[in-house]
Amino acid sequence: MGKQEDPKTVTRRDVLKLAGTAAAFCTSFGFLHGSQTGQVVQDKHFAEYKHLQARWQQAEFKWYKGNELLSSAPFPTKVLKHLQSDETAVIELKLFRAGKMFKNLGTIESKF
Amino acid sequence: MAGPHEILGMSRVLGIGTTEFLARYADNGGTTLRSEADGPCVFLTPSGCRVHPRRPLVCRLYPLGRSNNERGEERFAVFPAQPECEAVVGRDGTVETFLESQGVAPYLGWSRRYGELYRRMIGLLEQLDIQGKIDAPAAATPAEAAQAGSGSAGSGQEPNHVPLSSWQDIDASLAEYRSTKGIAVPTEIDGAIALHLRAMEEWLDDLEARLGPA
Repeated sequence: MGKQEDPKTVTRRDVLKLAGTAAAFCTSFGFLHGSQTGQVVQDKHFAEYKHLQARWQQAEFKWYKGNELLSSAPFPTKVLKHLQSDETAVIELKLFRAGKMFKNLGTIESKF
Repeated sequence: MAGPHEILGMSRVLGIGTTEFLARYADNGGTTLRSEADGPCVFLTPSGCRVHPRRPLVCRLYPLGRSNNERGEERFAVFPAQPECEAVVGRDGTVETFLESQGVAPYLGWSRRYGELYRRMIGLLEQLDIQGKIDAPAAATPAEAAQAGSGSAGSGQEPNHVPLSSWQDIDASLAEYRSTKGIAVPTEIDGAIALHLRAMEEWLDDLEARLGPA
């Protein structure tokens, strides 16, 4: 037999449900409390992150002969993730032959 | 971000219940919509949003963001422009005219009603002086946590989609409410939201009565 609860007292179960619901509403609705960082600020960072993700999502390298497209290739996943990581990310593009660099093609900046 | 009333609306567009919706499409304890691995919202398709008729307020407001503080005061801010977004965005007009043009009034109304409930919850928690224990799952036994609803606050052990609170799941909450009150649950969305708000108000009334004057 479980311990009988006094219907006139607030139980730990009540407190857990209350705290869980308050926490859920805090996130679901963006309600602020006390010294919490404003949701607008959080959402701004989230929006910037999403923005970078979308910007680089379908990035491709393309090789042309004049106006003729000879070949194309998507960015390697590791490169893509770095460019999507934050707005200060930079990638250097270097041309190698037999393991030796013979041309630096420049940089790609996440925030162009 | 998605409130219980928004989860209800989206679930009805998809023809499923809120319990299934939360399991399949929600993250962060049932408070946010799931994203694809490469970033976009799980409902974004090449032809648009799958739940557009009942999309959440946060989507309706874009490019505005809205916040509330503990006194219920609202603030709006403009998100950074996103070139990939096909929406036509300008800076003419006021926040008020923009909100009118987007037809967000009922969504803001519900959000404010849930906000009133949230402030009552915070008042109760302050009265109970347990704010520092919200993230202390050790205070509860597993049985208590299970009984408290689907998932307990801050336990960190549940799958990401398990709701932080059983109130997040309107279909389940109203089924329970119906079983205790013996009343019919409305099938249409607005009526179900109104009943959900009423059920939550009664729950808080009861807690406040049991706790006594502050």
